[in-house]
Amino acid sequence: MTPRVYIVDDDEAIRDSLAWLLQSRGIESVAYASASAFLDACDATFAGCIVLDVRMEEMGGCELFERLLERACPLPVIFLTGHGDVPMAVSMLKNGAFDFVEKPCNNNELVDRVIAALQRDAARRQSAASTESLNLLLNELSTRERQVMERILAGKPNKVIAVELHLSMRTVEVHRSSLFTKMKVRTAVELAQTLAALSGKPVI
Amino acid sequence: MMKFARVWGSGIRLKYAPLKWSNWYFAVLKLVGALLLLLIVALFLLLRQNETDEQRAALIADVLWLEQSVNFALEGTTEQVRQLADDLGREKNQQSLFALRSRNVMKSSPGLEGLVWLDASARLIDATPTHKIVRRGYNGLSDNPLAESQARAIEMASKLGKSIYTDAYRSAEKTQFEVYAPIFEDGQYRGALVSVYSFNALLQHIVPWWFAEKYQVNIVDSNGVLLASKSKIRTVSSTINYTIPFDPPGYGMELQITAYRSAGNLAPMLIKTLIITLAAAMFFSLWAMRGHIKRRLAAEQALRSETAFRKAMEDSLTVGMRARNRQGLTTYANPAFCRMVGYAADELIGAALPAPYWAPEEVQKALSFQDRVMAGKAPQEGLEMRFKRKDGTLFDALIYEAPLIDADDKHAGWMASIVDVTARKRAEELARQQQETLQLRSRLVSMGEMASTLAHELNQPLGAISSYNAGCLNKLSSGNFVTSEIEAALVKLGVQAERAGRVIHRVHEFVRKSEPKLALCNFAEAINDSIALIELSARLSRVRIVADIADSGAQSIADRLMIEQVLINLMRNGIEAMSDTAPAQRQLTIALKQGEEQIEIRVADRGSGIAPAVKEKLFAPFFSTKVEGMGMGLNICRSIIEFHHGRLWVEDNPEGGTIFAFSLPFDQP
Repeated sequence: MTPRVYIVDDDEAIRDSLAWLLQSRGIESVAYASASAFLDACDATFAGCIVLDVRMEEMGGCELFERLLERACPLPVIFLTGHGDVPMAVSMLKNGAFDFVEKPCNNNELVDRVIAALQRDAARRQSAASTESLNLLLNELSTRERQVMERILAGKPNKVIAVELHLSMRTVEVHRSSLFTKMKVRTAVELAQTLAALSGKPVI
Repeated sequence: MMKFARVWGSGIRLKYAPLKWSNWYFAVLKLVGALLLLLIVALFLLLRQNETDEQRAALIADVLWLEQSVNFALEGTTEQVRQLADDLGREKNQQSLFALRSRNVMKSSPGLEGLVWLDASARLIDATPTHKIVRRGYNGLSDNPLAESQARAIEMASKLGKSIYTDAYRSAEKTQFEVYAPIFEDGQYRGALVSVYSFNALLQHIVPWWFAEKYQVNIVDSNGVLLASKSKIRTVSSTINYTIPFDPPGYGMELQITAYRSAGNLAPMLIKTLIITLAAAMFFSLWAMRGHIKRRLAAEQALRSETAFRKAMEDSLTVGMRARNRQGLTTYANPAFCRMVGYAADELIGAALPAPYWAPEEVQKALSFQDRVMAGKAPQEGLEMRFKRKDGTLFDALIYEAPLIDADDKHAGWMASIVDVTARKRAEELARQQQETLQLRSRLVSMGEMASTLAHELNQPLGAISSYNAGCLNKLSSGNFVTSEIEAALVKLGVQAERAGRVIHRVHEFVRKSEPKLALCNFAEAINDSIALIELSARLSRVRIVADIADSGAQSIADRLMIEQVLINLMRNGIEAMSDTAPAQRQLTIALKQGEEQIEIRVADRGSGIAPAVKEKLFAPFFSTKVEGMGMGLNICRSIIEFHHGRLWVEDNPEGGTIFAFSLPFDQP
């Protein structure tokens, strides 16, 4: 699904004007009149970001945000707050909201925040995709190749690996070259870097 | 009344004493009764004993007398017979002598049946009155061998030479005994004279009628067989009898005397009966009295505890009670009333009018009220009056009067119940002030809420307008747009601008509703109304309010309620400012003056004044010198006055204290 901005506000004028504003900057948006309407529609295919009004009839923005956190929805959320809602918005930021904008706002600033959120989401989706492909490669490794890889990553020379796994030097070398081929790397350093992207932290 | 009260007081102390007393009293009464009964019985027994003893003594005396008479008679006769026997021994003409003398002896000797002359061989020589004397041994009866006693008597008489008595014997239905008197002639035994006595005859002759009337006289032999008896009347067993030996003749014979049961004296019997009856009556009446006294004591006890209960109730009352007689003098005051006014009951009772607890400024009112009460026109809903305590402090009392009816159903005076309502009034005043404060606060809270709602309501259209606007600008600056879409966005923008306008309009409407209602206002009336409202708290604070109204006709267009609010506010400030002023100095003066162009109202207090530093901030919102103040009072006052195009200011009172003054233009629309 193409990334877009999901606007949740119970005020029709706000929805329409925000949509107009975003469209004037070339951003596609969908508007929902209530929190429940959005929750009904929302699924894992949604990409982009959410613009939420804090004060709404029925379910408020904060509650909707909490529901989304429960669903582990990865979309960044931008809150629109009225006068006096700032402390609450700050607490939402601490809970992981992307940003909040006070109404009435400098509209292009809001659009800039939306764009930033969209970029963040795009990056997230990108990284999610690469992790997935790496996982596919790792799944093709045999148990022995995995054992050998773990020890290579631990920085152990072939000789030590051979002793630990009760294998001959020769066999270890065969496993090593086979797993390098499967992981599409040429050196141990390259292997470490690929896996570091997956775990999110550098190995070396 | 107070006298009663004192008695009641002592009654409480002696609460259980009378019961003890009555127990003791009853115990003594019972004891005395029992003793009396015992003594009466003892007296009767003693009397009876005495009587018996007396009877017995009389009996013994009589018996001794009888015995003596019998002895005398017998011995007299025996002596005569012995002399005859002597004479017979000396005389020649014995026969005629015997005949003569024996007749004399017979005549003078009672009970003597006959006299028999025997010779030495115990043969009959002669006998008086006849030879046929019924006598054992010498006639038809003598077939029996001569009684041993007769033989022994003859023998003893002959040997001893003196008269010898024989034993009793029966002969021809008579019981007799004999006396042998020996006849000696020159020392030779020549025979004997035998006196034959019949017991019956003896008794008949010797025992007199008066004796026989009182006693039964029996003669019994040694075996207890009746020999003779004076009376035929059988006595029933009687305790009083006496037996003495009948000697002579002896032989174990006894004279047995038994008293007839005396018919008794009528008078003592009557007295006894009366005493017993009266004693019984007395005991009965005592018994009846006991019940009566017990009931009385119980009633008394009940009355006493009832009185104690009433007294306790009366003492525990927090309502003052005061009784007055028909002259209006206090006759009774309960402890609550005494506490209330600080006077002792003695100081109140009978105190001359005006009563010491009347507030000096209300003596006239009190007197007129008293007249109304005495005329029986006491107000049903009670009357509020100011009372002065002994220490000079004043308090408000609510008085209810009710007629006092005494035990004789006479109208004795008036009973008043008095409640100290100072605290209540103070509480009411406090509650009212708190209510006002609360209202003000809630007004502020709702203002805050309204502002919040307003902000949100306005934010929505403004946000939309801003977004449409930004969108249009973006399109225009990018150059990539269609006119129609810009147009549509601008139309929507216009709609939102109208929406914002409607919100503002609603706010305006809301504000307009609470706008002052201007009308022609009489300021003198406004001042008087305000004074009426504040008077209670002024009295509680003992502040005198003086209205100095130069022109009662001053009027102008104004919101009267608002002006009154300002006046009350300023007056309350003045009253509170004087809390440290001496009570006599506490005066609040409200002056109204009408100038050519403006009306000026001045509220002057005699407080400690306002420091210059405070004066500067006086009208600033949320500034207050009071602990609980909100700092809105003067601010609102000034707003109101300014709304009326007037001016509110403060100046020092030349007499000490502060003057708050405001002026209102006279010729306002």
